[in-house]
Amino acid sequence: MCGIIGYVGDATATLDVLLGGLSNLDYRGYDSAGVAVGGRTVAVEKRAGELANLAAALDDEARAGFAGPVGVGHTRWSTHGPPTDENAHPHTDEAGRVAVVHNGIIENYRALRDELEADGVTFTSETDTEVVPHLIARELQAGADPADAIRRATGRLEGSYALAVVVAGVDALFAVRQDSPLVVGVGEDEYFIASDVPAFLEHTRDVVYLEDDEFVRLDPSGWTVTDADGATVDKAVRTVEWEAEQTGKSGYDHYMLKEIHEQPRSLRQCLSGRVDELDGRITVEELGDLDEPASVQFVACGTSYHAALYGAQLLRARGILADAYYAHEYATAPAPIPENSLVIGVTQSGETADTLSALREAAGRGAETLVLTNVVGSTAARECDHVVYIRAGPEIGVAATKTFSSQLVGLNLLAARLADGGHDRQPDLVDALRGVPNDVQAILDESEAAAVVEEFADSEAFFFLGRGFDYPVALEGALKFKEITYEHAEGFAAGELKHGPLALVTAETPIFAVVTGKGEAARKTIGNVKEVEARDAPVIVVTDGAADAGRYADHVLEIPATDERLAPLLANVQLQLVAYHMAAGMGRSIDKPRHLAKSVTVE
Amino acid sequence: MRISVKEWHPEHWSMQLDSAVVLAAGEGTRLRPLTKYRPKPLLPAANRPILEYVLDALVDAGVEDLHVVVGYQRGRVQDHVGPTYRGRPVTYHVQEKQLGTGHAVLRARDALDSDFLVVNGDEVVTASMVESVIDAHTVEDVATLAVVESDRAPEYGAVRLDGDWIVELVERPDEDTYRLLNAGIYAFGPSVFDDIESTDRRAGELRLTDTIAEGIRSGSSVRGVRIDGLWSTATYPWDLLTVARDLLAAGRVDEPERRPGVYVDDTASVHDEAVLRAPVVVGPDAMIGPGAVVGPDSALGRHTTVGAGAVVEGSVLDIDTRVGANATVVDAVTGQGATLGPGATVPGGRADVRVGATIHEDRQLGCVAADRASVAGGATVAPGTLLGTAVRVGTGAHASGVVPEETEVRR
Repeated sequence: MCGIIGYVGDATATLDVLLGGLSNLDYRGYDSAGVAVGGRTVAVEKRAGELANLAAALDDEARAGFAGPVGVGHTRWSTHGPPTDENAHPHTDEAGRVAVVHNGIIENYRALRDELEADGVTFTSETDTEVVPHLIARELQAGADPADAIRRATGRLEGSYALAVVVAGVDALFAVRQDSPLVVGVGEDEYFIASDVPAFLEHTRDVVYLEDDEFVRLDPSGWTVTDADGATVDKAVRTVEWEAEQTGKSGYDHYMLKEIHEQPRSLRQCLSGRVDELDGRITVEELGDLDEPASVQFVACGTSYHAALYGAQLLRARGILADAYYAHEYATAPAPIPENSLVIGVTQSGETADTLSALREAAGRGAETLVLTNVVGSTAARECDHVVYIRAGPEIGVAATKTFSSQLVGLNLLAARLADGGHDRQPDLVDALRGVPNDVQAILDESEAAAVVEEFADSEAFFFLGRGFDYPVALEGALKFKEITYEHAEGFAAGELKHGPLALVTAETPIFAVVTGKGEAARKTIGNVKEVEARDAPVIVVTDGAADAGRYADHVLEIPATDERLAPLLANVQLQLVAYHMAAGMGRSIDKPRHLAKSVTVE
Repeated sequence: MRISVKEWHPEHWSMQLDSAVVLAAGEGTRLRPLTKYRPKPLLPAANRPILEYVLDALVDAGVEDLHVVVGYQRGRVQDHVGPTYRGRPVTYHVQEKQLGTGHAVLRARDALDSDFLVVNGDEVVTASMVESVIDAHTVEDVATLAVVESDRAPEYGAVRLDGDWIVELVERPDEDTYRLLNAGIYAFGPSVFDDIESTDRRAGELRLTDTIAEGIRSGSSVRGVRIDGLWSTATYPWDLLTVARDLLAAGRVDEPERRPGVYVDDTASVHDEAVLRAPVVVGPDAMIGPGAVVGPDSALGRHTTVGAGAVVEGSVLDIDTRVGANATVVDAVTGQGATLGPGATVPGGRADVRVGATIHEDRQLGCVAADRASVAGGATVAPGTLLGTAVRVGTGAHASGVVPEETEVRR
């Protein structure tokens, strides 16, 4: 999903309006961004990665070149093809006089590109969009005025598009749409165009929604909409009532809750085409013919580190030597890498600096590398030998939720694929994986987490226990909780309790114990639950009920029965809701907790 | 004949109706137990939620600004539709208590300042129906509403027309002399908000139709537009089978048509030795095993599984439903995540069905298996059975009648 912003008006404001607009569109997700500012000439700057990369490239010195009265900006979220500086928008013609930003897909771009290349035009990107500035330039050269040139050029396009165009020497902005959203913002002597209203909501609430085939020309003195035949269209100006904060959240108060609720869908997406319930096989197309490694080292940070711990356990359970390391530790104090080892990075964004650095360290020492990530074409995806995508879609809340669940599913796919080359049938796992989206839906439908946490709002500290596969989610449950409530929360391996942490346990420290299955791990964790209960700590058990742990608990948060490897994923959904509802009750800034950033791109 | 306002006030030609309010707050209690976790607009019309048909019709008719009134289990609507629909912004308005359709429309009042559309979120409509209302409506009209000819008019809101004008509007009239029903697609001017507020509540509810009926009585111009095409809705669970059959017969499903009447999504996997009998639709990520026979008149939702040798006929299987090997499923409606185990038998056919306190005689309904209900291997389910959410029918057991949620049926 891409975002477009355009501005015409005060030359001293142009660049800030564009950068502010791009930032406001960040809920649409992005992996590269760019701006073009027009006036006598057109200046372009574009960068892959965070918006901060673009802002950093536009330092005080550089800004002097971006002082025109008209400009366009773009955020790109690639689903196909890598996010590189070249592929970022705006795109320009060969002379650099026409700059175009585009949201949508130009279906006949191949034919147009062939035609233009036959004419001697040189392309600089792999995008479908780049044909547009070249087509416009050709019309301009043939003597058309800018508006006609753009009309004629867009008349050649098939597919969907919202396009905004600046042309050197013309203090006007042009835009046209077909099946992609575009809205005009009407200010005083300044006008805006964007994919969505929040892009300019801080400047004006008066908007005009464009319809298919409508063409708009905006300059500092006004705006005109014309239809496909060039006749002026009388458009109503409407006033938007809602607040910028509400957009993009589908009616929820926070992105985090929206994303928690998206999990059944994002998990189905992660599994699509990878599990065959009919023959019980798992395939991960991206991996080609990767052989079973002798050993695996995971490197990751934060939530992804908890996924890595879990992944290492999955591989060990299948007889492959595997360990998880904090990426920042690994980069400075690396473990020896045995022969035929695979080093796997886990990073949602694919841009986490610590993880990139650890992966580079491993590659430098000759290890084969693989990354499990959410972002197509991210730095890690480009640099590693192999990549597996978790397909969770953009995640805006700083606290990772749906991406963690998809990481756990991705790790199961990866483990199954690595352990036997994907040749063995594993009907039980496949059956359980196919059932996971529905199991998560059951939790979302039935969870009592909101009611349970209310009772514990004034506690001193919160502890999370788990053993075996449940241990990583005890850590993750505590991390989520502390990130967004700012309360002290810690996760422990249940067996470690009596080796120290038990000293912290009082009647004021609720314990969340994850107990799944009825094996030895569950039985022993129940023993630990009894230990804390004897110290008067309130106990909340997250369980599938198999080991009857509920009878030792003050509250039970239930999860459906499933394969022991997938039960922690379900338990974690309950813990996501625990953290969310506690933080919401405390009025915390849930989507943007203090001091934290979504993807940490500095070491 | 009365000359329509549009013809002599050219400025009215360009009147835009680019905002729509979609009513999606009501549960649809007569569809229980399927509505335990989601409102009626999210129940499947063939293999997509009814609400998607409504939103598609609006977008295709040129509506740019979507307002959805949500209430009962609103999270499910928000999860499904998201912040935008086909690129058009969606604003949610919460109706905490379901106090009638008029009350629901009032929730969106602050977001609307010119004439707008109102559409029921639980009826399958088409873009051309919406366009008919847009084209007919003028600023002179207090309201314009779509009417459709149907012998079921007495079950819904019935209307009488005199030329282009509505002269009577009655909710579920006792007599069966009515042949036109209110299709639930309206255009209103902003004055409707005041009219709703001054309407008397009936049984605690503020009903949009009461406001319109009041307007008609007081002599306001309420325009009626006859529409044709497929208008379809479900009042009772078995109606979902009819809705699916109608949509399949009309080819109104999203998936690509592989051969006449057989619609299969690109991501579905259908074994070479499975048989698809037209008309049938198979949704994204669905899997159909060898020797299975699916169709006719069947709709498989996203991520459903039909095991080897199973037979699925005349049924609507919603998202995540799994049918085991060699099971027989006829005339069934399943909720999300229902399971019909290996060799389970839902023979289908006609039976009396109890909904609330009423017995509906001789309805074609194999069974309803609500969300996450499961029928274990070898079990049988009698025609007309309603299995509540998370009901477990044990191995080899026989279920019939109304089985309350989360109960177990044993042999």
